Amino acid sequence: MPRRLNTSGCLLLIAVSAAPGVIGGCSEQRPGAGDRAVAASHQGDETGRFPVHLNLPVGPPRVETGQRDHLDRPVTVSCVACHSLQAPDRVARSGDDLQQFHQDLQFVHGNLACLSCHNPLNYSALRLADGTEVEYASVMTLCGQCHPRQSNDYVHGAHGGMTGYWDLTRGPRSRRICIDCHDPHAPAFPHMIPTFKSRDRFLSPQSPH
Amino acid sequence: MSSEKPHRTFSLPVLGDVSRRTAMKAVGATIGVAAFGRAILPLAELKDRVTLQEFLQKHYKELTPQEKATIFERLESETKAQYGAAVSIRDPPPIPGVRFGYAINLSVCNGNGRCAEACHRENNHDRATSQSYIRIFEMPRGTMDLEKGRSTYDHVVPAPDSFYLPVQCFQCENPPCVSVCPVEATWQEPDGIVVVDYNWCIGCRYCQAACPYHARRFNWQQPEVPADEINPDQGYLSNRIRPQGAMEKCHFCLHRTREGRLPACLEACPTGARIFGNLLDPESEIRWVLANKRVFVLKEELGTRPTLFYFFD
Amino acid sequence: MTTLPHTPGPKPTHWVSYPRFIWQSLVLATDGSFMFYAWMTLLTAVALVGANAWAHQVAHGMIVTNMTDHVSWGLYIANFTFAVGVAAGGVMMVIPAYLYHDRRMHDVVILGELLAIAAIVMCLLFVTVDLGRPDRFWHIIPGLGRFNFPVSMLTWDVIVLNGYLLLNLHICGYLLYIRYLGRTPDPRWYVPFIMISIVWAISIHTVTAFLYSGLGGRPFWNSALLAPRFLASAFVSGPAFLIITMLVITRVAGSAKMDFKGPTRTLIQIVRITILINLLMVASELFTEFYTGSAHVAHARYLFFGLHGYHGLVPWIWTAILCNVAAAVLFLHPAIMRSVRWLVVACVLAFIGVWIEKGMGLIIPGFIPSTLHEIVEYAPSLTEWKITAGIWAFGLMIYTVALKIALPIFRGDVNFSRR
Repeated sequence: MPRRLNTSGCLLLIAVSAAPGVIGGCSEQRPGAGDRAVAASHQGDETGRFPVHLNLPVGPPRVETGQRDHLDRPVTVSCVACHSLQAPDRVARSGDDLQQFHQDLQFVHGNLACLSCHNPLNYSALRLADGTEVEYASVMTLCGQCHPRQSNDYVHGAHGGMTGYWDLTRGPRSRRICIDCHDPHAPAFPHMIPTFKSRDRFLSPQSPH
Repeated sequence: MSSEKPHRTFSLPVLGDVSRRTAMKAVGATIGVAAFGRAILPLAELKDRVTLQEFLQKHYKELTPQEKATIFERLESETKAQYGAAVSIRDPPPIPGVRFGYAINLSVCNGNGRCAEACHRENNHDRATSQSYIRIFEMPRGTMDLEKGRSTYDHVVPAPDSFYLPVQCFQCENPPCVSVCPVEATWQEPDGIVVVDYNWCIGCRYCQAACPYHARRFNWQQPEVPADEINPDQGYLSNRIRPQGAMEKCHFCLHRTREGRLPACLEACPTGARIFGNLLDPESEIRWVLANKRVFVLKEELGTRPTLFYFFD
Repeated sequence: MTTLPHTPGPKPTHWVSYPRFIWQSLVLATDGSFMFYAWMTLLTAVALVGANAWAHQVAHGMIVTNMTDHVSWGLYIANFTFAVGVAAGGVMMVIPAYLYHDRRMHDVVILGELLAIAAIVMCLLFVTVDLGRPDRFWHIIPGLGRFNFPVSMLTWDVIVLNGYLLLNLHICGYLLYIRYLGRTPDPRWYVPFIMISIVWAISIHTVTAFLYSGLGGRPFWNSALLAPRFLASAFVSGPAFLIITMLVITRVAGSAKMDFKGPTRTLIQIVRITILINLLMVASELFTEFYTGSAHVAHARYLFFGLHGYHGLVPWIWTAILCNVAAAVLFLHPAIMRSVRWLVVACVLAFIGVWIEKGMGLIIPGFIPSTLHEIVEYAPSLTEWKITAGIWAFGLMIYTVALKIALPIFRGDVNFSRR
């Protein structure tokens, strides 16, 4: 199964009006809005179409400390908790290059360095190749700058899969986003084990009769 | 037949004298008929399964809405009685202006088989045989020769230097299976889906011989599905539990797709290899794929004109 | 045709004479020697075993056969195809008799027509037992059900097979009844039907071949040569069966009043040609397949040599080839005209050879490998063998009974005035 990236642990479904231009519309996020509520709020939109829900993160990921609070909840901290005190390492290309933290991070993503995507000026956000800051919720814009073909396919509904309705005049649709299937630090699609084999009667080797 | 003991010969009108030999023949014939009756006794089991209403049921296209309602009710109660599951059978009509098309991205498909499994569950397939309308072939790269493919692979996927080819009914525009059916039990609907009236099919399996894609499945016996695993959301021409001795095939999940929903196999695909939509809508995802990807179909030379397309990208 | 003494006096009405003809037929059909009763009892027993197996199959489903979604037709359709050939082969007595006015053949042509009746009944039974839902049989009756004519070749087959059955029932029934009455048959009442039946005989096997050759997805069958091959092999198996029938009749009933020598000679000469044509066509198909070496050769390769370690049909087809070649050699040898023993051997070999070649050797490899090139082998289950044997026994019963009725009437031993 595709691994769900541990971003913030509170992913929300965000509604975007129609399929084309989906990525551009990502900023239209409404944190806290539930699946059903969003669908209802868009039912009467002027195109008569139901929304497409994208599985977008609402904010930056949080890092687990391994500790638990008095209610036995895992204690997580934001990125800036450390990085506000730490000078950015501009050469690091993998966890191995680091002296502390993130050392177990598997990084297999082309020729990128950490700061190719992470924003040294604001660790609560990401940045594009030209330095423009981009929110975590708009992560697909970031992916799309190197993977325009996949991005284009995605916009046209030909990448990433979906559930719900093919006919948006009859019902809504949910879509995974890039990082649902591709771990941004090791984006190759994971290997899988086939759990189901359709069989035929006496599929070879033939049973004796 | 007379079995009384004859006195040498006696006379019957028209037929003339009846001899001892004739009487013996009558005895022999009686024994023969009795033996025949005993031989075909197993047919008596049928009387529970084939009711008079079922025997006299008309072809799908000749049924009035009232007759359909009665039949669906009967089928629902039969499912309740035989499988212990409460189901509801509907018959969603084709949507005007819709012709379904499907595309599979073979560069992305990794042969994990979730689609086949989803089909198995959605369509109430026989559990013991793990039946499914989808069959996936592991193909070595560099060939489209199916003889080099294997559907029985059982290892972590994707295997090196392999690609995966899921095959199901292509809902051909020129379906050979429909032409050969002697009783019109299978036909093409206006939305392109080739359906089977499971209650009209006589089980001659000519369509199975005619299909170039191994898309059809025969109910060699009554399918067995545990009550709690039965999908109660059923269509008359789609996933209702099929009777023994009838043909079945992929119907693009018409009980879902005719209500605007995506097919079960597409929703289940974790790689997003499947694209489904309305071929008549120029804005649809499927039309974008046809226009922008180099799609192909299997065995194009046969002139079947499939509406399920493959592409690599 | 032996001239019968014409009885003087007023003609009885058909209301009297026809029931008597039927009754007489019934008597003839059930009277016989100990051997006859033993033979009929044996056939009845086998037929009952078949009927019982079929009843089980209907009750429990086709799961009791060894057919699969990959090999979806098996022993039944193989035998159906062969039986159509036997039915069509009977016409090889009709053609010399009526087109070439062979007098001696004229006297025994009824053997071929009765064989056609028995074989067609077998065909219809083989198709019926192959149906997954025989209870829905009425769906295929024109007018009652939905008859997909003319698109489905199977509907053509339904028409030609039943038409051929009716034609032959009429011809045989008419000739026997008139002979029974001691009259000379009126050519207007049967010659046109005979002429139609000649064309019709060709059509039943052509249509049956078209069932298979019209399927683009099955390259092993998708050959223009299939219909001619079917006819050539039919004109081997039909005459071979008739030669044996005539030998058996001579042995059992004597040939005092019927001359089988001339007809046998004619049939041998026919088989001499048809068996070679059949072999030539088989060789021609195989050359095209193997020399081209395209992906389509997989079926032939599986059949003759095995494929990827599967070779279930290899023994079958080589047996067929050996039988056919040996039969061809025997038929061509001059001794065949003199030696009854060799003639029997040759006919049996030819019959078995064609039975395999056209049945297990043609229907099954069409499915192996499957359309998606999977290999699932097939060997008939016990149920399939029982049902098949049952239908053969039933067919032989019909033929035996038909001959028991026809021969005495044709010899003039039994007729209306001499009862």
